[in-house]
Amino acid sequence: MNLWSRFFRRQRMMDSLDQDIRDFIERETQDNIARGMAPDEAHYAALHKFGNVTRVKEDTREVWTFGWLEQLWRDIRFGLRALVKSPGFTAVAVLTLGLGIGVNSTIFSVVSTMLLRMPPVHDPDRLMVLFSRKLGATGGSEDANRSPVSPPDFLDWRAQATAYSGIAAATSFENDSKVTLSGGSEPERVPNGEVSANYFDVLGVSPVLGRSFLPGEDQPGRDRVALLRADLWNRRFGSDPHVLGRTVKVNGETYTVVGVMPDTFRQLWMFPEQLWIPLAFTPAQLGPAARSQRSLSVYGRLKPVVTDAQARSELDTIARRIAATNPATNKDWGASVLTVQQYAIQESNAGTALAFLMAAVGFVLLIACANLANLLLARNANRQREFAIRVALGAGRLRVACQLLAECLLLGLLGGGLGLLFAAWGLHLLRGAFDWNEWSILISEQLSLDRNVLLFTIAVSAATALLFGLAPAFQISRRDPNASLKESSRSATVGRERHRLQNLLVAGQLALSLVLLVGAGLFVENFIEEMHARPGMNPHHVLTASVALAGAAYKTPARQAEFFESVLRNLEKSSEVESAAVTNNLPYTFPGRAKFLIEGQAPPPAGDQDWRLTFAGYFAVSPDYFRVTQIPVREGREFSRADDANSAPVVIVNEAFARKFFPNQNPLGHYLRLTPDGSPAEAGTTPPPWREIVGVAGDVDEYVGQANWRPQVFVPFRQQPEGAMSLMVRLRSETTTFAASLRQAVWSVDKDQPVTDLRTMDRVVRDSGQGDDIMAELMGAFAAIALVMAAVGIYGLIAYLVGRRTHEVGVRKALGARRREVLWLVLYGSMRMVLAGVGLGFLVSLAMPRLVLASFHDVHISHSSWILAGTPLAVILVALVACYFPARRASRVEPMAALRFE
Amino acid sequence: MSTQNELERIELLQGTLDLLILRTLLLGPAHGHAIAKAIEMRSEDVLQVEQGSLYPALHRLIKRGWISVQEGTSENNRRAKFYRLTARGRRQLTVETGKWEKLAGAIARILLPAEQEGES
Repeated sequence: MNLWSRFFRRQRMMDSLDQDIRDFIERETQDNIARGMAPDEAHYAALHKFGNVTRVKEDTREVWTFGWLEQLWRDIRFGLRALVKSPGFTAVAVLTLGLGIGVNSTIFSVVSTMLLRMPPVHDPDRLMVLFSRKLGATGGSEDANRSPVSPPDFLDWRAQATAYSGIAAATSFENDSKVTLSGGSEPERVPNGEVSANYFDVLGVSPVLGRSFLPGEDQPGRDRVALLRADLWNRRFGSDPHVLGRTVKVNGETYTVVGVMPDTFRQLWMFPEQLWIPLAFTPAQLGPAARSQRSLSVYGRLKPVVTDAQARSELDTIARRIAATNPATNKDWGASVLTVQQYAIQESNAGTALAFLMAAVGFVLLIACANLANLLLARNANRQREFAIRVALGAGRLRVACQLLAECLLLGLLGGGLGLLFAAWGLHLLRGAFDWNEWSILISEQLSLDRNVLLFTIAVSAATALLFGLAPAFQISRRDPNASLKESSRSATVGRERHRLQNLLVAGQLALSLVLLVGAGLFVENFIEEMHARPGMNPHHVLTASVALAGAAYKTPARQAEFFESVLRNLEKSSEVESAAVTNNLPYTFPGRAKFLIEGQAPPPAGDQDWRLTFAGYFAVSPDYFRVTQIPVREGREFSRADDANSAPVVIVNEAFARKFFPNQNPLGHYLRLTPDGSPAEAGTTPPPWREIVGVAGDVDEYVGQANWRPQVFVPFRQQPEGAMSLMVRLRSETTTFAASLRQAVWSVDKDQPVTDLRTMDRVVRDSGQGDDIMAELMGAFAAIALVMAAVGIYGLIAYLVGRRTHEVGVRKALGARRREVLWLVLYGSMRMVLAGVGLGFLVSLAMPRLVLASFHDVHISHSSWILAGTPLAVILVALVACYFPARRASRVEPMAALRFE
Repeated sequence: MSTQNELERIELLQGTLDLLILRTLLLGPAHGHAIAKAIEMRSEDVLQVEQGSLYPALHRLIKRGWISVQEGTSENNRRAKFYRLTARGRRQLTVETGKWEKLAGAIARILLPAEQEGES
């Protein structure tokens, strides 16, 4: 009989029991009358024969109980009543728990978003990501040697691999490409992807309108079709259902819209493409030399019967075959196959940072648990009599313990609920902070309290409740009821062992919070160092923006250079502008690289893959660049208007370059040959010119927190024009209002060119920290919470202990002890425990700097820093303050009042 | 009279009462009071069932599904709850009877020699 039917059955049966019993007794009475008794006597005899009616009812009722379930329900109701009766305790407990669980849920939702989400494609477990992999490279794990796939390799893989029901390619999002969408309203730069015709089929995504690409549409000539994403469709076309068949201009070329893809779809849920066009390979991309142009992301859907391992070994074999037949481009190149989940976890470097954060909030939760355990122990001490009586009346010890646990579960659940509220607020704050690049903005949009987080919260609440409830419950069940009933607070030695447990808990709290504080201090130190060290340039009062020229008019370098010259002239006309420049890469953003060759120095041996010896950061800048950035040019000269396409090729190097490649000489007057990455010269046509080194500039970081200066080279942009440049404008005053004028300066040259990514240079610097500032803030916040909780815990414990000893203190004072002696007595007793905790924490924290250094690269912390020494002192100080107030109160106790205190 | 009843009132094990109820109902449905009287009568008044203990036993049997309960009218036209044996109960009766006989036989075997020794 299942629970429900039993429940209803019981109701019915018990309802009529009264009546049944009465009937029974009535019949027996009648029988007795028939036997000749008087009516009164008959009734009495019947009752007597029946037995104890109440007991019969109870016994009958027991037949229908659900056993443990009813017991639990009863315990919960009782626990609820007990909690309501002591609102102070309940409030503090729920608040503490809520805080501890809340921070855990917040961080866990970040973990869930970044590491655990599955992409919104069909059957993500069978979707694989395929990579090329450089074999046997020195240092670095396998993931560091992964790279995108070249078009000829992709086509070969597709032709030869049998493990997949479909293989498709897309332009790798590492290329971060955007196209200009124009025609109609304002031109707009949107992130785009070029994909194989079967791309959406392989991934398993269906369009919400129209169709996806047809097979064959990725061939040249049939590829002028485009797919939109739903939010682009919404924003730019007003969700017009007749958008199918309309044309749009993409980078000046006309495409027809044939379908709309759902909003939720992103390539590996990371890259925010809004437009897709077919990936049609040019003949150049199909030639043998193109095998080294590795630019594609490749996905494959495993056939149902194939395993990961089989797919991996098959692809390895294919790659080896290709390497054998194409040694020039593919020697030592293999392949790698990952599930999307594996890929997400490995690719997101945030793994380590998140581990630290989870550990930090785990500590906070442990400290909260310790506080709660102490609270419960104290509270139970007051209820000792109650429990003793219940045990004496026949309640099993286990029952009493169970009832306590039920209370704890209630507290846990209430704390969990409050924790969810805190987490919602915490996420709200975090979302605002995740904004340093597109990827982080994407993450921030997806941060939410999803199902994983809810499950996690419930699990944590229950586990926490059990954790802090076990010790008190266990203790309760062990005490002899006799002793408890006889006990009164007059006796001096009250429950020694209980106090040991509480002291241990407080010592543990102190140790944990000390470790956490040291860790946080290290992150804060790192961040401060990063921000203040070696700026190399002056980022204040500088506004930046990006312009990527699109359209047939700008195909030639000369036209590109002309455009930017015009824009610069417009900008300089404004009175707010002190100086203006263009550059192909802003400082503090990872610049593109150029391979260089120094005349007179031996080239590095062929096949040497250490790019540090052959590549430098490459900057194409206008003459005022050094003036705008205020990067000092220490030797030689800056560029001037005279350095243009018709004058001698020149180059400026930075100090790091000079130190590394001209260690004891002056680099001025030497010659360099440069081949920027991705330029046509790389394919081996006309060699680039020899450039004379005319100046040495100061070093600037490529990102905040860089450990070593990297070599950089600067060329005048008129000698090497590019279509996508960043504008930098140094303003005489605050930057905020100039944005519109900046756009105007560009649009008065050509109104069809979008101006994107308007940021102040300060913001660029901050963004390049990739969230280091948030890490420091979060760790700091958690450490502070931990310390406050620990302090509250100590204060509570000491206050409680002192309260228990009030009688004893009264006696002492009556016998002549002075205030200071009592103060000292209490303080001494508590300081022992504090020192023990701090000592333990200190020992553990000694390992922290090493741990942080090993986990992150480019960290600016020192081994024997003042943090290690100072934090324990700070914690001792806080503990002393927390102990002082209760101790002072004890010392002020009136002997007479204390002696009467019961 | 009450003292005599108390002396002779033999305590019944829980399970045994269940068995007796089942057997009584084999003859047909009956209401609670009738069952109690039947047991007393059949045992020739040796077994004076504390009548109250009938109710927990009846509910236990209902919960196990061995008997079912129904409203009905009794012999003197009064409403009463009638209990009847279910098919499962019928089967269970055979099982329980078998167990009881085994138990009784075993106890008898142990007791018998002592009696003989006592006699001789």
